[in-house]
Amino acid sequence: MTTFLLIIHSLAAVTLLGALTHQAISVLWPARQRTGSFVSSLRSVPSMTYTNAIIVLFAFTALLGGTIYPEYRLNVRTMLQDFRLHAPEGAFELKEHVVAIGLGLLPAYWYYWKQPTAKERATTRTIVTVLLAVIVWYGFLTGHVLNNIRGFGS
Amino acid sequence: MSVARALPVFSIAFAVIYVASVQYNLAVVTYHPQLAAWGLLVEAPRQGPAMYWYGWLITSAVGAGAIAALSLALPAHAVERASAVLVWLVPIVMIGVIAYIIRGYFLR
Repeated sequence: MTTFLLIIHSLAAVTLLGALTHQAISVLWPARQRTGSFVSSLRSVPSMTYTNAIIVLFAFTALLGGTIYPEYRLNVRTMLQDFRLHAPEGAFELKEHVVAIGLGLLPAYWYYWKQPTAKERATTRTIVTVLLAVIVWYGFLTGHVLNNIRGFGS
Repeated sequence: MSVARALPVFSIAFAVIYVASVQYNLAVVTYHPQLAAWGLLVEAPRQGPAMYWYGWLITSAVGAGAIAALSLALPAHAVERASAVLVWLVPIVMIGVIAYIIRGYFLR
């Protein structure tokens, strides 16, 4: 069951990563006009349409992570400690904390995207979006590396 | 008066309370994964490790909700202006504080 949930957690994380990266690129580097190229399409996505999906995906991914977290504490963290892999253990500790702060950031993220045309909120909206993207990238890469160290399904 | 304007305040307060919860272990619940059992407030490990993360999240959400509600009594314009910067600055600083708190993992 844990393996199944881990796969769903990973798939949700990949989807979240794609959506949030896409949105972050579109606010950091917006296209003035769509030319039809891949890069232009990437930059000209209507970002607001991603917002609610990103909030649901973030919460769902964190919920799944929280569900399989006890398994990590019992079987993965102890292995990391046995092998004195302190840096990966610390990296995961940091992941749990930054994801928690990311969860807390979601209401503000929604608020600043509620009126995507409000120019006075543009800077805040951009920074919050990029911050969330960095949090998700960090969480994804850390989870991926930890999973590789432990070995999938072992 | 829009209640939604309290949302950035919630996020700012959440980050601060969460870090305080980690540093001072202010969990409102404890989970014992080996026993699959929950305990109220902070409990010492019974059998195997004790998990406080869920408790820290609840503490932070409840505390941030209360502060966000109180912020509605403050002038909207001032809160809006302060929140526009603090909403990203505070989480970044708090991530730095957390990294400092757990630096021992990376310095061994």
